[in-house]
Amino acid sequence: MNEESTVVCRCEEITLKEIQGTIEKFNCSSREVKLRTRAGMGSCGGRTCRSTIDRLVEQMGGPVISNEVPLSYRPPVRPVSFGILGGAKE
Amino acid sequence: MNSMRVEHHPVLGDLENQKEIKIYFDGQEYTAHEGDTIASALLASGIRTLRLHEDKATPRGIYCNIGHCFECRVRVNGKNTVRACLTPVENHMQIESGTPLSASFIKGGTL
Amino acid sequence: MIDLVVVGAGPAGLGAAIAAAEHGLQVCVVDEFVKPGGRLLGQLHEEPDGKWVNGIEEAQKLYSRAIELGVNILCGVSVYDLQKVDHGWCVYTTDEMIESKCLLLATGASETPIPIPGWTLPGVMSIGAAQVMGNVHRVKPGEKAIIIGVNVLSVAIARELQLCGVHVESILLPQPGILAGDAAQPEKMMESLLRLSHLAPSPLIRMGGKWVSPKLGARLFPKNGFKMWGIPIQLRKTALEIYGENQVEGVRIAEVSASGDVLPGTEKTVSADFVCIAGGLTPMSELASVAGCSFCYVPELGGHVPLHNEFMQTNLAGLYVAGNITGVESAKVARAQGKVAGLSVARVLKALTYGGNEKLHSAVEEVKETRKNALIQFQPGIEEARRELYGKFDETHKKTLISI
Repeated sequence: MNEESTVVCRCEEITLKEIQGTIEKFNCSSREVKLRTRAGMGSCGGRTCRSTIDRLVEQMGGPVISNEVPLSYRPPVRPVSFGILGGAKE
Repeated sequence: MNSMRVEHHPVLGDLENQKEIKIYFDGQEYTAHEGDTIASALLASGIRTLRLHEDKATPRGIYCNIGHCFECRVRVNGKNTVRACLTPVENHMQIESGTPLSASFIKGGTL
Repeated sequence: MIDLVVVGAGPAGLGAAIAAAEHGLQVCVVDEFVKPGGRLLGQLHEEPDGKWVNGIEEAQKLYSRAIELGVNILCGVSVYDLQKVDHGWCVYTTDEMIESKCLLLATGASETPIPIPGWTLPGVMSIGAAQVMGNVHRVKPGEKAIIIGVNVLSVAIARELQLCGVHVESILLPQPGILAGDAAQPEKMMESLLRLSHLAPSPLIRMGGKWVSPKLGARLFPKNGFKMWGIPIQLRKTALEIYGENQVEGVRIAEVSASGDVLPGTEKTVSADFVCIAGGLTPMSELASVAGCSFCYVPELGGHVPLHNEFMQTNLAGLYVAGNITGVESAKVARAQGKVAGLSVARVLKALTYGGNEKLHSAVEEVKETRKNALIQFQPGIEEARRELYGKFDETHKKTLISI
């Protein structure tokens, strides 16, 4: 197995090849990588793979990691049921 | 009783007075210790695979063990997306492994 | 509306809860783990005098003290959203919504992964996962381990796994490439191990013996590594792939040059029934980000950290941070920071009695002192990076906050 086929985003099973290909083709940010490939969009909310994606984008000539958090967080930061969102107890 | 349990430990001491309970994983009965999480109880019984990936059907088990990665998500007493690593076992708990979604749910699929 | 909600029942969160409750504040601590203590749970340190410090006992002490002071501690409860409201914060949890005048985020750090071919197989876990499984739940993750990633954390936890009766076959580097970056470079990793050398007496110096001296370069590193507690630490070996049918069966490894290139013809397989990945720690800032905090990217502190001052205030009124969310350091530093945060909240809520300012300032000094005496430093230049961060905070936000 080579590096290219390594899964980067475990939740959505997105490989290095798919992410690299997307960065190359669209010359894009972490956020655009997420929207185009679903990497970082799974159950964990990108907690596991976001640092890798940020680093890949930076190393492949994308924006240098700045003070801004590259892949912004949106609530809910944990998957919760509509019941919980509606105020019900677990 | 189970070789995967750390019964004795030079710094942490011995495990004592463990109360045993029964849990069910995919219909099969297993013995757990009170105070176990679902993940630790199943691992002590030699269960590594907690689910098959929804799309690719690859086997998955615990990864972070502290609730960050959601890799250990299972169905518990009918409730979905329960983290095995954060959920204490209860007597007669019914745990089901995650299974691949049917084709109609997969990206681009049609009903 | 209560006085303070703390997210995270680790050393920082409990430290803050205790300090605040000692000044009469009504405090609630929320944590999603089943037990209080955070990453203290599972930590075992051998002090220079040979005495073991058991993190579970340390956590129990903090927990008991907090309960004694009337702190409400909710375990197994996750926070999924936050909102600024008039005169306070609204915290949405899987249990209930809690309103408080002040909010402290002590959510710690998450482990930085190193994606490796085969790492989704059951039996591959983060190094911290193995630590919690063995030391907290008292279940061995397997009989024979291979640890990928050579750093302070992986070496310490390898020893702990050994105490649990696990055979640690080897600690080696990840496959060189874009995914592993510096973590696959023998020279960089040697540098990181040598960072322990000025902190003697550290276990690494004592056990590593002659090989761990500042003069040693990765070039001289023995092909078969050196042994600590009988565990081979192999800076010249790399994990190419984790293999197995339905779970881990072993790792395909190869030798690497000092500059990290795989040497052709050196590949072989080593069997193991579990594999740990040790990529280091990243401050877990998601709730601070949702709250709308300003951030700073500080590699010395492990990544993006909420902009804050030495009193643990963020740029948002009533929002505080403490512990590893502010930068990856030891549990002792986290606890000392927690105390500062708790006193800081008490100060703002006018609960600090006579002599309170002195108390707060001495707590700030205590953090620095603890940092200086820490046996393990995760990165070089932490104190300097923090000074710079606090300076930046003062430049931009001092005027807008209640002065201390």
